[in-house]
Formats: sequence, structure tokens, C-alpha cells
Amino acid sequence: MTTLIRLENVNKHYGSFQALKNINLKIEEGEVVCVIGPSGSGKSTMIRCINLLEQYDADGKITVENVPVQKGKDLKYVRAEVGMVFQNFNLFPHLTILQNIMLAPVRVRKMPEKNAETLALGLLGKVGIAEQANKYPAQLSGGQQQRVAIARALAMEPKALLFDEPTSALDPEMVGEVLDVIRKLADTGVTMIVVTHEMGFARQVADRVIFMDSGQIVEQGTPADLFDNPKETRTRNFLKAVLNH
Amino acid sequence: MRRYFALVNLILAIIVCPLKAFPQSGSDKELLVGANIGNVPWEFQDTNGEFIGFEIDLVNEIAKRLNQNINILNVPFNGLFSAVQSGRIDIAISSIGITEKRLESMSFTQPYYDSDQSLTTVKGNGINSLEDLKGQIVAVDTGSTGDMWATANQKKYGIAEIRRYEGLAPAMLDVAIGRVKGYISDIPALLYYTKDKPNLEVVERIPTGGRYALMMAKNKPLVSEVNAVISLLKEEGFINSLHEKWFGVPAEPSTSTVKIVDMPTANNGNLLNFFDTFLNKQVFLQTYPMLIAGLITTIQLGLLSIISGLVLGLIVSLIRLYAAKPLQAIVKVYIDIFRSIPLLVLLIIIFYALPFIGLNLSPFSAAAVSLSLVSGAYTAEIFRAGIEAIPKGQFEASEALGLGYRHMMGDVILPQAIKIVIPPLTNNCINVIKDTALASVVAMPDLLKQATQAQAVAANPTPLIAAAVIYLMFLLPLVLWVSKLERRYKHQEGSK
Repeated sequence: MTTLIRLENVNKHYGSFQALKNINLKIEEGEVVCVIGPSGSGKSTMIRCINLLEQYDADGKITVENVPVQKGKDLKYVRAEVGMVFQNFNLFPHLTILQNIMLAPVRVRKMPEKNAETLALGLLGKVGIAEQANKYPAQLSGGQQQRVAIARALAMEPKALLFDEPTSALDPEMVGEVLDVIRKLADTGVTMIVVTHEMGFARQVADRVIFMDSGQIVEQGTPADLFDNPKETRTRNFLKAVLNH
Repeated sequence: MRRYFALVNLILAIIVCPLKAFPQSGSDKELLVGANIGNVPWEFQDTNGEFIGFEIDLVNEIAKRLNQNINILNVPFNGLFSAVQSGRIDIAISSIGITEKRLESMSFTQPYYDSDQSLTTVKGNGINSLEDLKGQIVAVDTGSTGDMWATANQKKYGIAEIRRYEGLAPAMLDVAIGRVKGYISDIPALLYYTKDKPNLEVVERIPTGGRYALMMAKNKPLVSEVNAVISLLKEEGFINSLHEKWFGVPAEPSTSTVKIVDMPTANNGNLLNFFDTFLNKQVFLQTYPMLIAGLITTIQLGLLSIISGLVLGLIVSLIRLYAAKPLQAIVKVYIDIFRSIPLLVLLIIIFYALPFIGLNLSPFSAAAVSLSLVSGAYTAEIFRAGIEAIPKGQFEASEALGLGYRHMMGDVILPQAIKIVIPPLTNNCINVIKDTALASVVAMPDLLKQATQAQAVAANPTPLIAAAVIYLMFLLPLVLWVSKLERRYKHQEGSK
């Protein structure tokens, strides 16, 4: 297996507060990694550094396919190769569902509109909402909007997908439909990093689970190792708190 | 932006209509006198700010003889007519000539000065007589006798353009700059004004046979009371002593400064009712081509300023938000300055001060530049607010998809920002169009200017009312449209 994403000694400061502390991480091609941990532990910050939505400190290094993630002309390439799904969907409200999905392939990949439309319709079918293609985001439920956001990220045919708490903003009854879509994606072999609070989902889907706390990777391993045999006290305390409610 | 004191005339004419029903101060203790201060030597300010002059002395004496207190208000020349008609002031002074037209809607006392018009130029600018005005631009005071004479004789002397100013000082400033070649106005004022200015010269007397008198509302009892006092003052030689005081020599015995003459009466001297005064159909029909010409200028100026203000504002807002820090600081200074400076002040600086550093703009260009600069500053802030109102997630989603800056702004951010900024932007456009009225002060023949000129010439405020209606006719729909957009926008926000 080849390494797709590499983080070496990544730190992130907000003024005097250190949000990330010496993160070292390799994500292999095709791997599904779930990141868990308490709020404010740096999970989102870490994945937002991977496509440079957050600028990490200068002493660290992040690469995607050996291309350094930094400001400059290569950044566009990195961002095109790494898709992202946000907690709040962030669909473009003035564009239809179809246009939302077509925009990046047409503008960034220079794909002809016709091909982009075919691609978009296909993806909408995959996430199960082909019939909503000409509606606007505000006309869709939260779950449907998040599925559109996933289709939008997939339209760039990225090498990796980053999910930033994709179900946290959803009503409980819609969590399932979104997780189903992500689960199906995981089966297709796309590399994924999923920041999530859904422990059952993580256990079921992840190849590897990472537990973060206070800006550090505390422990990582297979779901079975981490959920059933956590070595660190902090991991045990966290799991006890989230699983016993 | 919201200073429209040039519109005071309009507002004045409208507001005072209902007040006419109430007793006005004319019969009370205080005599209200309107004067176009700055009209030397008739009424102007000394270094202490006191009003002095021939006519000031005269009305003070008249008030004393009538046992009344006096209050003198500074009113621009072309505003005197509606001020008198609406009862806002009792008496208007400002070397106002008696004309047949004015007599139709006003009353005058007997005259106390015989005057002519004159042509004043800068020495050595090649204009030595009226004949030299061929193909040249001349200055006049809006709606004055000089304006009427120049308008009537424009063809005869081949005058290229008549520029209309709000008084002697700005007109003479433009003569000095060289933007206009001569100034046609009352000869006594100009003889007095040029007396201590060796570079200026009154080159020709234009015999128009003007006679100055006090102007009052039509057929008020006050007119004959004041007229009687004037007769008395002539008998006592008081008025001739004023002539000697202000012009250095006594008047000829045959002039109306010395001789008691009859009060002028109109040929059709009926008392005008409300409709004849404010909604006079005949006056409207006579003057509406002038108003339409003014409207076209107003629209041209408004549109040009709006479009260049929009382009400027968009560029400035993007620099303000995304450019390098020093550039941001520079445009912030621009935005702050041009939002703080009153448009009128800016306009006067650009029109009257820039020629001294070699930048000589026409009235239209000066007005368009001022309006665009101010509108651009406001527009920049509107765009900035619009862009900043777009949630951060929209920027992040665009970036995460790999969209470059151009596509992020063009496809995602600006289309959403436009929706937000359309209502405030339209409001700004309405303000720009209203502010075009300020261009009157730089002799631009816009709608307001044309209306004030027409009302002074016709001695009737109907053109002002008509101008107000025209402004309303094309601004009111815009105002209503904005309200509708704002409601719809709120509604959409609510449904999200």
C-alpha cells in the first residue's frame, strides 16, 4: 500500500493556545480512518489542515501524494484531490442541486457542461436523491442536503474525502441516511478520514480509529483494539462517558 | 449625502401652502425681510457678520417709521419669489427689478433706483463689448434680469452658452478662472464690486431700464403702507443720502431715487388664488420644455455617476477586503474621507479649486466626478457588508473544491452578495439622483436649476411644484421597489 496523506510534526497555535501538538500520521490509499475524541480536542482542526483551510505552524509538514500542502500554485491541485464534507453542508444556496455539483468539475477540471451534468445526475442517483436535481438547497431536508454535499465532493473524483462531523448538525432521524451513504462509499475503496461522534458507525466502518485529546493523538488502532481494549486511561474515560449514556 | 439644501426652495414652496391659512407675521410687530446677502452694495456682510448695504439701510428705516421690529433673513435670489408668495417673508429686497411678468403675481412699491445691466470681464481677455461674446460662454444669476436679457438676446449676439449661478461671488470666480468670459448682471453691483479689483472691468452698460423696488405678496395692505413711507423718505432726501453713502455721489434729480413716482400696477392685476399661484397651467405649459431638458441632464448625470460609482465601489471593496495591507489602508482612507465630506463641499472644491492647479472641469464633469467619488465610497461599504454577510462556510466550501479566487467570487460569493446589496444599493442610487440637484451650484442646468430659473422668470412657483412631481414620478417607484425587495428578502430569510 502507498501512503496518500502524510502529517509530520504538525503543530497549530491560535495565539498562545496550542490546538495541535506534534501530530504524526500516515493515511494509506483506500484506508478508512475515523477520528474520535471530546469536543475541542483538535479533530476538526487536524483535518482542516490537510486541505489548508487552517494554516498549520511552519515547523510541520503535510503532503498529499508527496505534494506539500502549502500556499502557492500546487494548493489548487491538492484541494482538487482532497474533497471535504462539512458539518453544516455549506451548499451554495443560489444554485440548484445539479449546479452545486457541476460547478467545480466545470470550473476546476474544465469538464464540458454536458459531461458534468451526466456525472452529477449519476452521483445524485448514487446518494439516492436524483429526483431533487432541479431544486434549491433550502427546499431539501438536512439529510438530503448533506447527501448532496457528499455528491458535490465526489464530483471532483478526489483521491481522498475528509468528513468534518457530517452528522452533527442533523436531526436524529436523518443521521442514518447520511451514514448509509458514507458506509457505501467506504466499500468502494475511497480513502476517507471521518471526524465523528457516532461510535457505532466508527466501529463498523473504520479500518483504523484515532482517539484525540487536547490536540494530541492519544491512541490509535483497529476498532476492536480501541473500543474493546483501550490502553490509555484518557481513552477509557472518554469511551465510558460516550458509550454509557 | 443627505444634505439637500438646494431643494429648500421646493420644500419651502410645498410646506408653506397649508400655512397660508394662518395669520402671518406681516400685520404683527415683526417685519420679515428676505435678502440675497452678498449682493453688493445692496445687502452684504461686513467683517463682523452684520448685514449692511443700501437696501438694508432702507428697510431698517422703513421698519422704524412703521414702528415695527425687523428680522432680515438670507434667502437666495431665486428663492425670494416663493418665499414672498407663501408668506414666509413680508418683503423681498435684492435689487429686484419690476417686470410685467413679476407684476402678474407680485406687488411692488414705487422704485427707488434706476438701473441697467452690464457686462463684466477680466481685463485683457479679449472681450470688450457685447459683440465679442460670439461663441463664448457667459455667466448670469439664475432667473435675474440679466438672465432674462441674455436668454432673449442669445441668438442676436451668438452667445454659445449661458451658465446660471447662484449669485455674484461664484459667477465672478468662474470669470476670473476663465471658464466663462463675462458676467451679465446689474450695473451698480458690478461697479461697486470691481471698484477695488483692478483686473476686472465693466466693459459695457446694457440699457434695460430696470427699476428696483421692494417686492411683496400681491395686493397686501402692507404694500401701500410701505410705499407711503418711501414717498416720505424721498421727500426728506433720505434715499438720496443712501445713494451718496453707497455710491459716493448723489443721484440725478430725474431718477426714481429722488422723484416720487406711482406704484407700478399689473395690466391684469387680479388676485391670484391657490391654483393660479402653485398650479398655474399656463406657466407650466410655458416652462415644461425647460424642465424636460433639465430632467434629461439630471438622468444623464445620475446614470453616469451611478455606473461609475458601482464599478469604483466594487473594485474598492475587493481591495479593502483582500488586497495587501498597505493597499487596504489606502482605500480605507478614501472610503472614510469621501463618506465624511459633504457632497456640496466636494463639488465646490472640485469645480472652483482644481482650476488653480490646472484641472479645469466642465460643470457636468465636475458634478459627475464628485458624485461618483462619493457614491463609490458608499457603494464600497455596501459591497463589503454584502460580502461579509456571506457565511464563512461558503468560502471554505469553494476553497475545498479547488475553486480559484476568481471563480469563488464570481460564481459563489458575489451572486449571493448581490441579492443582499440590491436594496441598499438602490437606496444609494436614489440618493445619487437626488444629489444631482446639488450640481445647481456649479451652474449645471439640471432639473432643479431649470425649475428655479423658470420660477424666477415666470415669478411663479409652479415650475418648482412640477419639478417636485417629476422627481417623485421617477424616484417613488424605485423607493417602492426597494421596500418590496427588502420585504421579499426578509421573507426568504425567514423561510430558511
